[in-house]
Amino acid sequence: MRFDLDMPAWKWPFYVARHPFEGFEDVRWKKAYHTKVALIIVLCLFIVTVAGRLMTGFPFQVMYDKVFNVVPLFSSSVLIFFIWVVGNWSLCTLFNGEGKMQQIMCVTAYALVPYIISQVVYIFASNILTRQEGSILTFISYIGILWSAVLVISAMKAVHQYTMPKTIIAIVFTLIAMVIIVLVLILLISLFQQVVMFGYSIYTELMYRFSM
Amino acid sequence: MPLFKKFGAAAMAAVTAVSALASAVSADEPYNGYNYDWWNDAVPSQNGYVVDEVITGVDLGVGAFNELNDIFVDEVTGKIYLADTKNKRIVITDEKMESATVLDTFKYGEEFPESESLIKKTDLNDPSGVFVTHNNDKTLIYIADTMNERVIGCYEDGTIFREYTRPSGDLYEAEVSYRPLKVVVDNALNVYVVIKSITNGMVQFSTEGRFNGYYGSNRVETTAEVLQNAFYSLFMSREQMRKRVQAVAIEIANCDIDEEGFIYTVTSSKNAEKDVLKKLNPAGENIYLNMGFDNMLFGDMPLYYNGQNFASAIDDVDVDENGNVFLLDFTKRRIFQYSEELDLEFIFGGEGNQKGLFTSPTAIENLNHRVYVTDGRKNSITIFKLTEFGGMVQDAIELFNRGRYQDAKEPFEEILLRDSNYWFAYIGLGNAYYTMGENEMAMKYFYMHSKGGYNRAFKEYRMDMIRSYFNIFMIVVIVLIVIAVAISIVRRRIKKKKLKAASTGGDGNAV
Repeated sequence: MRFDLDMPAWKWPFYVARHPFEGFEDVRWKKAYHTKVALIIVLCLFIVTVAGRLMTGFPFQVMYDKVFNVVPLFSSSVLIFFIWVVGNWSLCTLFNGEGKMQQIMCVTAYALVPYIISQVVYIFASNILTRQEGSILTFISYIGILWSAVLVISAMKAVHQYTMPKTIIAIVFTLIAMVIIVLVLILLISLFQQVVMFGYSIYTELMYRFSM
Repeated sequence: MPLFKKFGAAAMAAVTAVSALASAVSADEPYNGYNYDWWNDAVPSQNGYVVDEVITGVDLGVGAFNELNDIFVDEVTGKIYLADTKNKRIVITDEKMESATVLDTFKYGEEFPESESLIKKTDLNDPSGVFVTHNNDKTLIYIADTMNERVIGCYEDGTIFREYTRPSGDLYEAEVSYRPLKVVVDNALNVYVVIKSITNGMVQFSTEGRFNGYYGSNRVETTAEVLQNAFYSLFMSREQMRKRVQAVAIEIANCDIDEEGFIYTVTSSKNAEKDVLKKLNPAGENIYLNMGFDNMLFGDMPLYYNGQNFASAIDDVDVDENGNVFLLDFTKRRIFQYSEELDLEFIFGGEGNQKGLFTSPTAIENLNHRVYVTDGRKNSITIFKLTEFGGMVQDAIELFNRGRYQDAKEPFEEILLRDSNYWFAYIGLGNAYYTMGENEMAMKYFYMHSKGGYNRAFKEYRMDMIRSYFNIFMIVVIVLIVIAVAISIVRRRIKKKKLKAASTGGDGNAV
């Protein structure tokens, strides 16, 4: 099949999911980095995360939101995804990785497809299964996570042209880099908040002075 | 951040609950009923109990009380016994609470002559616990005579028949003080004494006054200190470990015994998470653990403001003849009533000086749906009576706990009409519909109220659905399979044709 790779863009994520070991090499060889497809997959990830909170069957709900809030869901799916991309790129450019930012984003998104599919199955199944059959659901979600994890490792290996040990090390360091990025982001946000508050208080002070 | 948000939300809910009720209910009571919902937020509820009367020592004609520390209601005779600690006396009155007799001098009789006694005192010194039981038509009064370091067993006329003093064996450490605070007696007349700052549990005596050992000790809380000690014990010698502060279990604060002889104990530490309320079998094991109440929080949900802990500190426990459990919380001076299955029914009382509020509640008892609470600083007995709503809830829950779900349906519906926030009614109705076979209704009521109930109802509902739509379902499945097989056959043929065309076309790259 390796010679018959002229397929439409949307088929690539499914192709790599079925070929976890050489699939991403094929992506690299064919330069099949489709940004639109990747962004659609990220959108699907977000939708699935929201649906998981809202549509999971009642016996399997773990979080009981009295007031639904989309921001934590957004940051735990889309934001984390882009932090991963940025963290991985900034680390692997230093570690002689060959991947560009756009390429890293595309392959990571491709690798998430099994997880998204397993989540969809999970949400559907959680509405027709009882708690006694909950182990099936655990199984489904574990399969999805494991498959995606294997794909992410394979994707990183192919896109940066690393050896296996180097890939693992790069992923571990990427996770650490993500933590640092999040910390810096929080610091920045609080700093900007203070700056904005400072400006606002000056503004109100001036208004009090001049609106006499 | 979410933690803070959650507490903030809880606080807001409590505030709105209070303000909403203040306008809605004609403010007869100084406190507002509330309950906890699925999210453990406080929601307003109707009062289950209202104040009936407040009685002081002057009303009883025995002079003002001074630190009332315990009350015992004798269900057989209807007599009420009060431990009037600083006046060094026991006051005996009855249900009408019009007159009282005082028991403060005792005598050694033939059964237990003075020569046998180790204490040899005929008066009390700060009694803080009293318990009464009956044996062969005789009323046996047990008094925890705290500062005299003994528990007296005596008859109504003050004749002492037994003293339970400091155990002399090796088990009871010599340097530990012996200050009995509370006492309960089981049907076999074994005496269980709660002793101040003893962390091993209650001290159990046989009828003759022999020390049988400790009973019902609490577990040690898993705090950082415990973990630290466990870590150090890996490499420290025994001598070194002895110098470290030992983590000990929290002492038992109070106890009660129910009709069936189960002993209930409480701890009054705000930080306690384990063993706040225990129901002990004769072997001293906590039955609630087997019932799945290991991680249950009793009293108010813990709240922290400015680093201060506002969790409940349960001071006293009382169990009525239906198995309802009353917990007295010293932090907020509230009373929590739980059903036999530990479902929170009512919260009432509060802190303050008005009728129905307390400054230092010490003990709780109940008789005939009336709840008696003593206050050690106001030195009065507050008597609560059940409201109409409260009675309705209690009857419904009693029916429910006996398994008569369908009979409980109407009362629960009435409860929901009066208070749509009353969460247990939803579970009751869910169970009613479930037993009636109306699974969809049951699911509707169980949703956001009981996962287990919803699961059961849903299982039946799914079974019904499969049974009624099995034919259509199977036809659809078979048709789908047929279509899938047909498509794959067609595709394979098309591929074969293509391959043939390619090979005959002589394109060498393919295959």
